[in-house]
Amino acid sequence: MLRHIFSRLIQSAVVLAVMSFVIYSLIGLMPGDPVDLMIAHTPGLTAEDQRRLRELHGLDQPLLGRYLAWAGNVLQGDLGYSRLQARPVLDALLPALGNSLILLVASLAVALAIALPLGVLAAMRPGSVFDTFVNMIAFAGISMPVFWLGLMLIVVFAVLLGWLPAGGVETIGGGGLADRALHLVLPVVTLAVAGTGQYVRHVRAAMIEILRQDHIRTAQAKGCSRRRIVMHHALRNAMIPVTTILALDIGAMFSGALITETVFAYPGMGKLIYDAVMGNDYNLALAGLLLATAMTLAGNLLADIAYAWLDPRISYR
Amino acid sequence: MMDGLSRRQGSPAARAIKRFRRHRLAVAGLVVILLLTLLALAAPLLEAWRGVDAEAVNLLARNASPSLAHPLGTDELGRDVLARLLRGGQVSLAVGLAAALVAAVIGTAIGLVSGYLGGRFDAVIMRLTDGVVALPLLPLLIVLAAADPAKLGLAPDLLPPEAQGVLRIVLIIALVGWTTVARLVRAATLSLKTRDFVRAAIAAGAGPGRVMRRHILPNAASPIIVATTLSVGNVILLESALSFLGLGIQPPVPSWGNMLTGALDQVWTAPSLAVWPGLMIFITVLAFNFLGDGLQDALDPRSEDH
Amino acid sequence: MWIKRLLFSALAAAFLLPAPSQAQERRQITIGISQFPSTFHPSIDAMMAKSYILGLTRRPLTVYDADWTLICMLCVELPTLENGQAVLTELEDGRQGVALTYRLLPEAVWGDGTPITSADAVFTWEVGRHPQSGVSNAELYRRITEVEVVDDKTFILHVDRLTFAYNAINDFNLLPAHVEREAFADPAAYRQRSLYDADPTNPALSAGPYRITEMRHGSHVVLERNPHWWGEQAAFERIIVRAIENTQALEANLLSGQVDMIAGESGLPIDQVLAFEQRHGQRFQIHYQPNLSYEHVDFNLSDPILSQLPVRQALLYALDREALVQQLFQGRQQVAHGTVHPLDWVHAEDVPVYEYDARRAGELLDEAGFRPGPGGIRRDAEGRPLSLTFMSTGGNRTRELVQQVLQAQWRQIGVDVRINNEPPRVLFGETLTRRRFPHMVMFAWISSPENVPRTTLHSESIPSEENGWAGQNYGGYANEEMDRLIGEIEVELDREARREKWRRLQHLYAETLPALPLFFRSDAHIMPLWLEGVRPTGHQYPATLWVEEWRVRS
Repeated sequence: MLRHIFSRLIQSAVVLAVMSFVIYSLIGLMPGDPVDLMIAHTPGLTAEDQRRLRELHGLDQPLLGRYLAWAGNVLQGDLGYSRLQARPVLDALLPALGNSLILLVASLAVALAIALPLGVLAAMRPGSVFDTFVNMIAFAGISMPVFWLGLMLIVVFAVLLGWLPAGGVETIGGGGLADRALHLVLPVVTLAVAGTGQYVRHVRAAMIEILRQDHIRTAQAKGCSRRRIVMHHALRNAMIPVTTILALDIGAMFSGALITETVFAYPGMGKLIYDAVMGNDYNLALAGLLLATAMTLAGNLLADIAYAWLDPRISYR
Repeated sequence: MMDGLSRRQGSPAARAIKRFRRHRLAVAGLVVILLLTLLALAAPLLEAWRGVDAEAVNLLARNASPSLAHPLGTDELGRDVLARLLRGGQVSLAVGLAAALVAAVIGTAIGLVSGYLGGRFDAVIMRLTDGVVALPLLPLLIVLAAADPAKLGLAPDLLPPEAQGVLRIVLIIALVGWTTVARLVRAATLSLKTRDFVRAAIAAGAGPGRVMRRHILPNAASPIIVATTLSVGNVILLESALSFLGLGIQPPVPSWGNMLTGALDQVWTAPSLAVWPGLMIFITVLAFNFLGDGLQDALDPRSEDH
Repeated sequence: MWIKRLLFSALAAAFLLPAPSQAQERRQITIGISQFPSTFHPSIDAMMAKSYILGLTRRPLTVYDADWTLICMLCVELPTLENGQAVLTELEDGRQGVALTYRLLPEAVWGDGTPITSADAVFTWEVGRHPQSGVSNAELYRRITEVEVVDDKTFILHVDRLTFAYNAINDFNLLPAHVEREAFADPAAYRQRSLYDADPTNPALSAGPYRITEMRHGSHVVLERNPHWWGEQAAFERIIVRAIENTQALEANLLSGQVDMIAGESGLPIDQVLAFEQRHGQRFQIHYQPNLSYEHVDFNLSDPILSQLPVRQALLYALDREALVQQLFQGRQQVAHGTVHPLDWVHAEDVPVYEYDARRAGELLDEAGFRPGPGGIRRDAEGRPLSLTFMSTGGNRTRELVQQVLQAQWRQIGVDVRINNEPPRVLFGETLTRRRFPHMVMFAWISSPENVPRTTLHSESIPSEENGWAGQNYGGYANEEMDRLIGEIEVELDREARREKWRRLQHLYAETLPALPLFFRSDAHIMPLWLEGVRPTGHQYPATLWVEEWRVRS
C-alpha cells in the first residue's frame, strides 16, 4: 500500500511537471502578447515603445528558453511577479485561494447535508413517488445553467426582496463574520444546487447497490430492523463510492467556480485564473493552473487511497 | 440456462426495453428529445409555412410582445423568437450530440486499448487522462479559436465561417470530454478480459484487435451509451456557460446558450426573452439526464428484480 | 393559499426595510466600475479604470477639460509662444525645438505634506525615459532632451520638436521623488518595487482631494479625503470604487443599493443602459455623454475587391446608419462621417456625407461588375459570389447587434456578409495586428481631442513583418496626400491654417474611404438623483478629475 502511494506520488509529480510545460506552451501559443493587448488601449503607442516593452517583458525570447528560466526560478521557490496584479504571484494567489476554499467547503457542506438524507431515503424505496420526486429535484439541479440561476437569485433576493447582498465578499469598511456569511449565501446556494443534484444521484445509486448485496440481505434475514441496516451497514458502505467521487471532484470544483465567481464578483481562484489567462499574465496563470492541477491530482490520489482503505477487498501489490 | 431465461422473460434486448418502459421519466425524456429534434429539423419548413425568416432583422419591430404573427414575440433586432429558438435548437442539439459522440469514440478507443494492453502503457495513459481532466479549458479554447483551419490542413473555403465556429466548439469539448468514457471503458475492459469467453477467444488465436472489437466492446457498450447520453446534456450546458463568457457559439448563429446570454442584458425590460432559451436548455438537459438514467437501469441486468 | 400569504409578507417586509443608502447621511458614495486596474502606477499600462481612480487621487500637469480645451491643473499657467513661457530653440541638427517653462502651483503638496517640486519633475523624466522602467508610452519622455531646474517650483522642459500641441504634457505624470527614488535604484526592478503597487495606501503618493486607504485587488478601492489637499474640499468623506466585471451583476448591485452610481467611463454598455432607463429612469439620473471613441469598420485594402473605391462606397451607401442609431441607441449615439468628432473644434461641416441610398449602392456595384445573381447575391463576371467576411470582438453584445443589422442591410443590396467574431485578445492580439483579417473588422479607436491619426492612417504605420508588426494602420491605407497632411498638421502652429488642413484631411478621408465610419460612442453615466456637479468629459480624462465639484443635492 505504502509503495503504491509512493509510486503514485512520483507519477503525479511527473504529470505535474509535464503539465506545467503543456500549460506554458498553451498560453504561449495563444495569439497576441501583453503588448498587443496594450495597443488596444493606447493607439498612440509607437513602434519603438512596442519593441522596448516586448524586450522588457522578455517576450522576444523563444518559448522554451522562457519556460526553462521560469521552471528554474520556481524550483528555487520564486513564483515570479504578476504583471496583471502588480504584485508577487504568491501575494495574489493566497487571498484568492482562501476565498475559494471558503466557498468550496461551505457549498460542499450544504450540498452533502441535503444530498445524504435525500439520497438515502430515496434509495430505501426505489421507484416510489418520493424516489421519483427526489430524482426530479436532483436532475433539475444539474440541468440549470449556473449563470442563469445565479442571476435569477440576485434578481429575486438582492434586487426585488433586498434581503441579501448581490455580490462581493463583505460590506466594504463594515465587515464582521455575520456580514461575510451573508455575502456567502447566494454564491453558496448557486454552487450547492448543482452539487446537491450530483450527490443525491451518487448517494442513491450507491445505496441501492449496497442494499442489494448479500450481506445486507443476510442481515435482513437475521431480522435486523431496516433502520439499523441502513444506518449501520449500508450507509457506511455507500460512503465509499461517494467519498471517491468527492475526492475526484475537488480539483474541478476548485477552479470550476468561475461562473459563480463572475456573477457574484467573488474574487476566487476561478476568476483569478481566467483573468490571468485572458490578460496573458504568464506567471499568475501558470501558478494558478498548476495549483488547480495539483489539487486534481491530489484528489485522484486521495480517491485511490480512500477506496483501497475503505474497501478491504481491493489490494495493491 | 440462457434458453430458460429467455423463454421466461424474452431476449435481453426485449427485457431491457421492458425495463426502460417502466421508467416513466426516461420515456418522457425520450419523447421530449424526439419532439425537440423533429421541431428543430423542421425549423426551415415551419418558417416557410409561417412566412417568417429567423434571420430577418426588422429594426421597427424590436422586442414586440407575442402576437399571431410572432407567437413568442420578437427579439432585440425584431426577429421572430420562435423561429430563432428552433434554429438555436438545431445548433445546440447538433453540438451536444456531435461533441458527445466524438468524445465517446475517442474515449472508447483509448479506454479499450489501455485496459486491454495494461501494464506500463495503461499507467501512462491513465496519468495522461488525469492530466487532461486537470487541463485548463480556457487557454485551449482560445488557442483553438485562433487556430487557422488552413494550417490544420482544412481548406477554409470548404466551410462557411459559421460552421467553422460550431465545429471548433465541438472539437474543443470532445478533446476534453473523452476522459469519462475512457475511464469507464477501461474499467469494463479490465474486468472483461479476465472472463472465460475472452480467454477462450484469445486461446483460439484471435488477435487483440478482434478480441477488443468482437468480444469486449459489445459487452462494454452499456456504460458507453449511458455516459454518452448523459454527456449530451452536459455539453449543452457547457456551451451555454461558454457563451456566457463570450467564448461559445458566436452570433449570428443562434444557440440556446448565446440567446440566453444575450437576453440577460434585457432581463428587466423583456424578461420573456430570457425565459424561452433558458427553459429550452433546462428541459433538454433534463430530458437527456432522465433518458440516461433510464438507460442505465434498463441496460444494467442486475436491476432485474426491481 | 399559504404561499400567497408568505409571498405577501415577504414583499411587505422588503418594502418596510429601509434601503441602506437612505439610512446613512450622504457622507460617502460607492461607485461601480466594470474593470479593476492592473496597476496604480500612473505611467504604466493605460486603462480607463485606473485613470478613473487616479483622477480622485492625483492631478496631472495639463489636461483636457470637459469642454475639450487644454488647461493647467498642477501648473500656474500654460506656457505659450504668445506669453513668452514657450521659446523656440534650434537644435544641433538644425531642427526646431521648443523650451517650455512650467511653474508648479506654490501650494501643491504630496499627500504627506512634502511640497511638489521641480525635483519631482526631473525624477519623473528620468523614470519615463529609462528603457527598463516599464513606462508604456515613453514617446513624450524621449522627446524631452533636458529638464532644467530654475527654482523649487519652476522648471523648463527642452523638447526636440515643435508640434501644435507643444504645451500639452498630459502624460507627464509627476512622481513623488522623495518616496519613489529608492524603488528606482534598480530601474529594471522599478515596476515591481514602485510604491504605487507595493504600498498603494502610502499617503505620499497622492496629490489630489483623496487618497487610497484600502485596496483589495480585483474587488474594491476605498478612498478618503487627503488632509493635505490644497484645493476646495470635496463633498464626500469616503469614496468606494467597486469593480464588478459582469455588467448584469453590476446593474443588479446598483438596483440593490450596494452601488450608488455607475461610472460612464468604465461602466455598462449603452444598450443595457437604454433598457435600464425604460424601467428605472425615474430613480436615477442618466446622462449620455458623447465620446471620442470612433466606431468604424476597417477594410483590408489589400483585398482585390475592397481595394476598389466604388465597392467601399457602395457598402457605405447601403447602410442606413441613422435608422440604426435611432432604433438601437434611441439616437443617443451620433452617426460618424469621419474620424473627427463633431464636437472637436477642427471638425469640418462641409465634408461629403454618404446618406443611405440603396439604389446608388446597387449602381456602384453594377459598375464594378457585380451583377445580381441567384438567391439575390451578386456575382462577378466569373460567377463568383460577392461574399465578405465581417469580424469583430466576440462577447461584445452591442457590437454583435450592430453587426447583424449591418449584415441584413448589406444583404439588401446583394452582398453576402459572413460574421466571424473572435475573442478580443485574439482579434487585437493577432488578427488585426498581423493584418490577417480577410475583409472587414469592426472596432473603435479611443482618442483625445485633435488627435492626429499618424498611427492609424499614415502609410508608415502599416504593420508588416519588416517593422515588427508595429503601427495601427491595419487596413493598409497608403495615400501620399494623407501622409503629407498628417506631417503638416503636426507642426502647424497657426490655428486657422491648421483647421484648413484638418478640413482637407477629412475631405480626403471621405473621398478615399479607408474605413467605414459608423458612429461615435456615448458613455452612459448612471447617477443617483441626489448627486450633482458631475461633468463627464467624453475623452480619456475622466470626470473624477473634478470630483471637488461633486455635491449632494440639498
